[in-house]
Amino acid sequence: MECPRCGSAARVMVKSPVGDVWEVYVCETCWYSWRSTETPVIIDKFKLDPAKIGELGVIPAVPPLD
Amino acid sequence: MARVYKDLREFLAALEEEGQLVRVKDEVMPEPDIGAAGRAASRMTDGPAVLFENIKGYKGTVVTNAHGSWANHALMMSMPKDTPTKEQFVELNRRWDKFPVPPNVLSREEALCKQNTITEDINLFEVLPLYRINEQDGGFFLSKASVVSYDPDVPDDFDKLNVGTYRIQVKDKDRVGIQALPMHDIAIQLAKAERKNEPLPIAITLGNNPLVTFMASTPVGYAQNEYEFVGALQDGVPTDIVAADTDPNLLVPAHCEVVLEGYIIPRARVVEGPFGEFPGSYSGARLQCEVQITRITHRDNPIFENLYLGMPWTEIDYLMALNTSVPLYKQLKTDFPEVQAVNAMYTHGIGTIVSIKPRYGGHAKGAAMRLLSTPHGMPYTKILIMVDDFVDPFNLEQVMWALTTRVLPSKDVTMIENAAGMPLDPSSYPAGMTTKLIIDATTPVAPEPNPRPVELLKDPVDTEKWNGIIRDMLKQMEA
Repeated sequence: MECPRCGSAARVMVKSPVGDVWEVYVCETCWYSWRSTETPVIIDKFKLDPAKIGELGVIPAVPPLD
Repeated sequence: MARVYKDLREFLAALEEEGQLVRVKDEVMPEPDIGAAGRAASRMTDGPAVLFENIKGYKGTVVTNAHGSWANHALMMSMPKDTPTKEQFVELNRRWDKFPVPPNVLSREEALCKQNTITEDINLFEVLPLYRINEQDGGFFLSKASVVSYDPDVPDDFDKLNVGTYRIQVKDKDRVGIQALPMHDIAIQLAKAERKNEPLPIAITLGNNPLVTFMASTPVGYAQNEYEFVGALQDGVPTDIVAADTDPNLLVPAHCEVVLEGYIIPRARVVEGPFGEFPGSYSGARLQCEVQITRITHRDNPIFENLYLGMPWTEIDYLMALNTSVPLYKQLKTDFPEVQAVNAMYTHGIGTIVSIKPRYGGHAKGAAMRLLSTPHGMPYTKILIMVDDFVDPFNLEQVMWALTTRVLPSKDVTMIENAAGMPLDPSSYPAGMTTKLIIDATTPVAPEPNPRPVELLKDPVDTEKWNGIIRDMLKQMEA
């Protein structure tokens, strides 16, 4: 299964607690998650790839060690 | 004595009694139904809370928009649901002065949040009917949690115990992302832990007493305890708290619906977002902290309380309207007793209006600069309007009158460049840097020249009498 945001491999995170009516998938590269009942359409502005992930802002900054 | 709600359920019962809660019994889809209903309800005048009882694939229930109207906000304070906003502001100020009211610390057996405990095979989806709030959100978010953490240098310092609202993204069955912006209290505590490469213990509490949720999103001082404010806002009645199971210094609301206990993983940052935020736009993906959940306690049949946020106004705007205005008012009033009221309801105080009776030329501008240096005003407030004491800052028609007739832009408009801003304000650039705008719409006071003094119009003598007559006639027509 392919992540709709970054194209990496995704896995099943969880199945519906009641009935077998949906699954939730999660990408282990960009951590986007979606339900099988959704049809994700990620706008271009929010698409990611490994290079973009490396350039994302860090909140909050990691402080130096004491 | 104000009516006090022990927990969320008592508040929801009060909302239902007053016609401010609707139950959706038909099956709904997690997306888009719950987010859409939250959007719709918060757009209505006096919109109700919406309780979903049957969500496809889930066991539990969801309530949204519990704080999402002035009627619900008034009921939160056990005031009549038609209480005007200004009167709610005045009453909040009265109760605020009862701080501190120490909470009751209950035993584990007395705390309803301990009815069930999960320590193995943790799966958030078994406890919470999680859903996507807005279409481009990067996942399912907890938007109304109260997060409890302490200062690692002084773990048992109750004053520095923090209860705050931070956005939380579900990353896995037992792991969530959390946003700790540098200006927020939790970031101070996190930095201390991360300097030692130690985890920061936290408890994420959901479905709280409505005033706990209210105080968690109120900007108070680092050493001011939120639970002691809850007691104050309950008109002097202490709130109930209990120790988390994993850490005796993490004190959580005793009767909340769900407690997620765990720790912030030190020195790790992972992709989080985007998330539709309170300024009405998405904040994009960033590398942010993650929390490992190690234990869940919850009430029987827990209710998942969450809020919709998007283009203002939404539930979050009601939640953080007066709780932003009151602390700013209190902080300003200390040095400027001439201040009459503060309306910081616009986008968490990014837009703020202050009414003041200036004593001398430049006085109003000085008070404005004081507000811009308060802990919340410094990063948040960007556009600040100062109006005379006889202008009600909660009445935007009056404020617009002051702007249109009191302001000479060439002298009354001041800009302060390269100042601290709110990073989620998309006009800040770089994110977190902004220009402050002060508009002094007060009437000039000496020694500032007022070359064209005017006589203000007053209501005709019998206006109040006729107000009553016309209202009575309208009531008779309705009957």
